[in-house]
Amino acid sequence: MITLNHYLVLASLLFCIGLYCAIAKRNAIGILMGIELMLNAVNINLIAFNRFLVPGETTGHMFAIFVIVVAAAEVAVGLAIIINIYREKLSSAVEDFDWLKW
Amino acid sequence: MLEQFTSIGIFIFVGLGFAVSSLLVAWIVRPKRPNPLKMSTYECGLETRGRTWIQFKVSYFLYALVFLVFDVEVVFLIPWAVEFLKLPWIAFIEMFIFIGILVVGLWYVWKEGALEWK
Amino acid sequence: MIAGIDFSLLTVEIFTAALGLGLLIINLIVPGNQRSATGYLTVLGLLGILLVTLSYEGVEKTFMDGMYIIDPFATFFKRLFLVAAILVTISSLPFVKKLGYNEGDFFSLLVFATLGMMVLVSAGELITLYLGLELMTISFYILVSFKKKDAKSCEAGIKYIILSAMSSALLLYGLSLVYGLTKTTIIEQIASTLAAGTMQPLMALGIIFLLAGFGFKISLVPFHMWAPDVYEGAPTPITAFLAVASKAAALAAFVRIFLIGFPAYQEYWITLVIVLSVLTMVLGNLVAIPQTNIKRLLAYSSISQAGYLLLGIVAFSSMGIGAILFFSIIYVFTNVGAFMVVVALSTSTGSHKIEDYSGLYRRAPLLAVVMLFCLLSLAGLPPLAGFVGKLYLFIAVIEKGYIWLALLAVLMSMVSVYYYLLVVKVMFLKEPPQNSGIIKVPNGLQIAMVFSLILIIVLGIYPKPLSDLAMSVAHTFFPFSF
Repeated sequence: MITLNHYLVLASLLFCIGLYCAIAKRNAIGILMGIELMLNAVNINLIAFNRFLVPGETTGHMFAIFVIVVAAAEVAVGLAIIINIYREKLSSAVEDFDWLKW
Repeated sequence: MLEQFTSIGIFIFVGLGFAVSSLLVAWIVRPKRPNPLKMSTYECGLETRGRTWIQFKVSYFLYALVFLVFDVEVVFLIPWAVEFLKLPWIAFIEMFIFIGILVVGLWYVWKEGALEWK
Repeated sequence: MIAGIDFSLLTVEIFTAALGLGLLIINLIVPGNQRSATGYLTVLGLLGILLVTLSYEGVEKTFMDGMYIIDPFATFFKRLFLVAAILVTISSLPFVKKLGYNEGDFFSLLVFATLGMMVLVSAGELITLYLGLELMTISFYILVSFKKKDAKSCEAGIKYIILSAMSSALLLYGLSLVYGLTKTTIIEQIASTLAAGTMQPLMALGIIFLLAGFGFKISLVPFHMWAPDVYEGAPTPITAFLAVASKAAALAAFVRIFLIGFPAYQEYWITLVIVLSVLTMVLGNLVAIPQTNIKRLLAYSSISQAGYLLLGIVAFSSMGIGAILFFSIIYVFTNVGAFMVVVALSTSTGSHKIEDYSGLYRRAPLLAVVMLFCLLSLAGLPPLAGFVGKLYLFIAVIEKGYIWLALLAVLMSMVSVYYYLLVVKVMFLKEPPQNSGIIKVPNGLQIAMVFSLILIIVLGIYPKPLSDLAMSVAHTFFPFSF
């Protein structure tokens, strides 16, 4: 039987993969993808907790929906700024941003 | 518990087997007589001109972003619609305020010219 | 459940949202060359909302099972954000005029960021808290990169987005663990569930994630790396708003979650907070010394101020909370005052180098005097307001027996006097460069600067009314001194 623990392990693995991707990638879009993975891990956590611990309520579902929407807004703003940088500087690699010290 | 997965296992096995065996059979029985026309990338349709690895027009990404945002916002309508009959009338007005704000957003996008293909 | 909402309690938030949307719509209707009035409209609107908050005096209500809380603590911070927003709007008028595009958007985003902060301090529940936090930060992403032709501004924007989104993800993972372990998202119920149960290791993990997430937003060492870069690249008025209001908002939410939600785990997280506080005070002050750019200097100084603010949380008493409230108010006026001088100077000279402040006293006496008092107040010299603020914080931790912590904080304050005085020396003792004229300062900016200056001096000499207010608010919020 698949239990809550399976879901939690899956979520933590996904979170670690996302974190690694966000830290190791040198490309702004790659980093944003890693962050998306981290947020999806959070969603799995929320839904699993809701399903296994309080099946009658929907708080966890609602939380997940809000996370999805906010993440989309965040990524949209991020991509818009990257598009703008691309227009002005023609690059989307983070290491090219060396005007300020990292 | 394992029985529940047996049917899935058989399904995967048969599916993979079908794909691999048909490729294998085709490889054995097909005639091999290549000519330049057959080797070209586009056997039908137009020949490509210039480099094919070009960048998309920036306007495309703007469309995509606008679509993404509006598409995801609509997710809030679904729980509202599912529970519509149980909700008090004020929820109806609230949803109209929400849609009104989205319409202002669309108006903004339109006015800023992000919907034009320049 | 929805029928139980008393919408009159939400007046402030509704008005703020309406103001933000209204500015956006005005920007769409009015043709481009007539939009210069939007800034003044924003100031008037925010002033009106500030008046509305006066009617919330002493109101203490929650609704929807504690999802949203209107209490003196939240109202205090809302007023603080509104005052900060008004000062920032005034100081951004010349910048926006110079920019010449999307005037309405700028002010609209500023108002939405303020709305996010309001939701953040009033949230009694994790989802609401997250929404408020994101409304604030997403507005800030756009504001930081508002100079879209300027490479530095764009780079600051992208750095802010990446690091802030990452910290949000960490925070969310922590929130999901807290939700899983307590089966609720309402902070009051979290506290009662935790108090009833035994210590769970997973909860410790959740608390660490939350600390990291909030640490990013408050820019605590070692989560501070984004702050100097973003502060330097962002438009200066936005830097002021980021340094002051967003930090105060995140701190207020931090206080509410940790002091109301996790008092049962106090002994575990308070050690971590002490470590963060010590690191922040030491590193923030020491790294500020070699800076040559005034915005980076102020960035590091604001990092170190966050370290002092944490002392109030370490104290874990109503005295500590009162000290945080008092210090935040003073922090708003001193920091925004200093940044207004930077704005005034950079609009006429276009430079942020400290050496370009040489002889400022001869070229613009008002600017030099305001800067002098703001810096001395930040350093915490008597009889200015910053001294009183720090004094309350130090007393609060000494009451708890952390004498070494207070001594360290005093020592670091002395270090900070050194680098603030370096700037003062450049302004007053060095000769102004050749062919530099008198610097003209816009009227609105002058009024705002003089207002901050008077408050810094008056609150330093006669702090009693404000400190009484802060202490009484803190006492209703957190009536414990154990």
